[in-house]
Amino acid sequence: MSIQKEKEYREIFLAEALENYTEINRLLTALEKSVGDLKVVQALFRLTHTLKGNATGMGYEKIAEMAHVMEDFFGEVRDGRIVLGTDIFTSVFKSADVLGQLIDSIKTQKDVKYRGIKTKLEVLIKAAKQGYSLSQPNGQSQSKSELVKVDPSEENEMDADSGESVVVSFSDLVQVPVKKLDDLLDLVGELVIERDRIIANNMRSHSTNEFSRLNRISSDLQYSVMDVRLVQVGFLFNKFHRIVRDASTKESKHVMLKLEGSETEIDRNILQVISDSLIHLIRNAIGHGIERPEQRKQNGKPEEGTVTLSASSESDTVIIKIKDDGVGIDPQRIKNKAIERGLISLQDAALMTNRDLTMLIFEPGFSTIDEVTAISGRGVGMDVVKKAIDSVGGTVAVDSMIGEGTIFTLTLPSSMAVKSTLLFELGSQTYAIPLSYTESVISIFKSDIHKTGNELITIYLNKTIHIVFLSDLFDPSYDKKAGKYKSFDKLQSKAKLEVVVVSFGGNRIGFIVDKLLQQKEIVEKPLKKPFDSISFLSGVTILGNGNVCLALSIPGVLNALFNSQVNRTINA
Amino acid sequence: MIDSKQNDSQQTGIGNERSTQIVVFKLGQEEYGLHIDQIKEVVITPNITRMPQTSSFMRGVANIRGNVIAILDLENKFGLECSNDHAVSENNFTLVIESDEYKMGILVRDVPNTLSISSASIENAVFTGDNQAGQSYITGIVKLEKRLIIMIDIFKVINDQDVQLFKKQNGLAA
Repeated sequence: MSIQKEKEYREIFLAEALENYTEINRLLTALEKSVGDLKVVQALFRLTHTLKGNATGMGYEKIAEMAHVMEDFFGEVRDGRIVLGTDIFTSVFKSADVLGQLIDSIKTQKDVKYRGIKTKLEVLIKAAKQGYSLSQPNGQSQSKSELVKVDPSEENEMDADSGESVVVSFSDLVQVPVKKLDDLLDLVGELVIERDRIIANNMRSHSTNEFSRLNRISSDLQYSVMDVRLVQVGFLFNKFHRIVRDASTKESKHVMLKLEGSETEIDRNILQVISDSLIHLIRNAIGHGIERPEQRKQNGKPEEGTVTLSASSESDTVIIKIKDDGVGIDPQRIKNKAIERGLISLQDAALMTNRDLTMLIFEPGFSTIDEVTAISGRGVGMDVVKKAIDSVGGTVAVDSMIGEGTIFTLTLPSSMAVKSTLLFELGSQTYAIPLSYTESVISIFKSDIHKTGNELITIYLNKTIHIVFLSDLFDPSYDKKAGKYKSFDKLQSKAKLEVVVVSFGGNRIGFIVDKLLQQKEIVEKPLKKPFDSISFLSGVTILGNGNVCLALSIPGVLNALFNSQVNRTINA
Repeated sequence: MIDSKQNDSQQTGIGNERSTQIVVFKLGQEEYGLHIDQIKEVVITPNITRMPQTSSFMRGVANIRGNVIAILDLENKFGLECSNDHAVSENNFTLVIESDEYKMGILVRDVPNTLSISSASIENAVFTGDNQAGQSYITGIVKLEKRLIIMIDIFKVINDQDVQLFKKQNGLAA
């Protein structure tokens, strides 16, 4: 980790820790007013736990120790073994103060005495564990100080310290709610739309130079705002140490987590959307992938399994890989299971490649593990993983070797805000198709298209391309059987067609559109209710002329086409 | 929604003189009403972009002051379209409705008018013939001399649609 990165991490830890500390103080005050509010105690327990975790991760042992003791303490309070009285509150507040000083000392490098109060809490916890009732109802317990073996000088020093340190500390980072960033981005998006509108209106009357400065500034602004939203994947990755530890303990397996490329940057919202998916994939890798130690030994592998989580960026996409060195995915087992579950027919199964078979794990209701284990779910997970990744415009691929391990590769856009798209016209409406899925744009004649087995295909540069009339697909009265030929048959025999060829998940499809417009970077707005369940679209944007432009979701469209194909073969 | 209903019944309990303002618009030959606080503004219907995968009463989306808003055709939804007067059937105005969850527009032909009525004149219990969920968006009937205004809960109309869309999609996937 470079010094720069380390500094950045420290800043972020500090900001988070300060926030935690403020929250602890607030909750403590609240708790003092309503003693016995278990919700507050639980919140304190969680906060101290988080702080402990973060501090351990950063190597701030003192803070971790202090937070640990406090966590234990609140645990005892929660379980009712410590009854909070006035004098105990004094200690707790003091410990919170010391915690604050410790956090502060990262910046000031000041030496903070914390053992005294820590021991005090430890004694309280120990006593509670032994079953003492520690607090008299009126809060006058006199024996505690005798129990506590504190170096008096240390405690005095600490008191003196806390006296002078009622200084409000400021962090160099500003915490901004994501909502505000979203709003800001929305505004910038509107600005860009407005800019386009003005430029479009004045195209003739002014030279293009007139607006070049406006163009540049607004673009810069847009990219700056996008940049603010980028976070390092490391934030998410670092939280996985704990998940791996917990999961492997539960399954009694030995697993090491290796992180690579933690400094890769990605849009915060994308990271949020995929975080559950990553957790799921990692749990699966441990639950289904990594073998038990004795089995690994037999197979000549090191007893400890490795799960590698790596990230890298490639132009405007981020690639996240989850790799394990476990048993791998057996296509035959998947095949049997899929047939058993009725996901595919016997005939279809024979024709499917291993790769296709492996992709079946993403079908809803699929699970190869017969018994449900503690951590890997009940086959409700992988399809959700795929949906989440599709929803941000990403793709997922699986590579597996039996006995060697499995790699899940997620390809994600690094920013959700701006999409390079190709605009086209269809039925006097404008649509946008993301360039990341667009393979080529070709122009063909009607005679180049052939009817083959209920499908329309064409050959272009030796590649077979399925042809779909988008207008048919979007027509509500679209009948799957008859529909494919309807628009085609209506065409004049010499008609020239514009085709946008897209590919996704190994399927290549050419969409017939009315007219191709220009290439454009759009600021996409997500679909809001009641349209949020439309799978064909990923979002909308407003064009320079004020009309709404629909952005196609290629995964959504292709999944629908592909699924209906599978359905037809099953039903036939 | 539940809150407002409770308020209504409370108001009728306290005194019959409490008045509420409603916005009345014509759908087909019938008059429909919404509570005024559900309506944000009335605008001239902008250019509507159709959306795929939606039922026909979802006319699409439109750009209203920089917001992309769903546009509904309730005449279509309630089966009130009159095909004989094509010239007038332009839906010229859009009622913009806003809640925390939804933002949408309802197409109407004429500028809707507001009406002050006493809460007591809203008949809450309406017998709709069947107790299907599809009917539950009718919250009451207002009888004024010769007029009959059907009060609807617009958000229930949409929730109903959500379910339909969901079912449709599941049907596609199954």
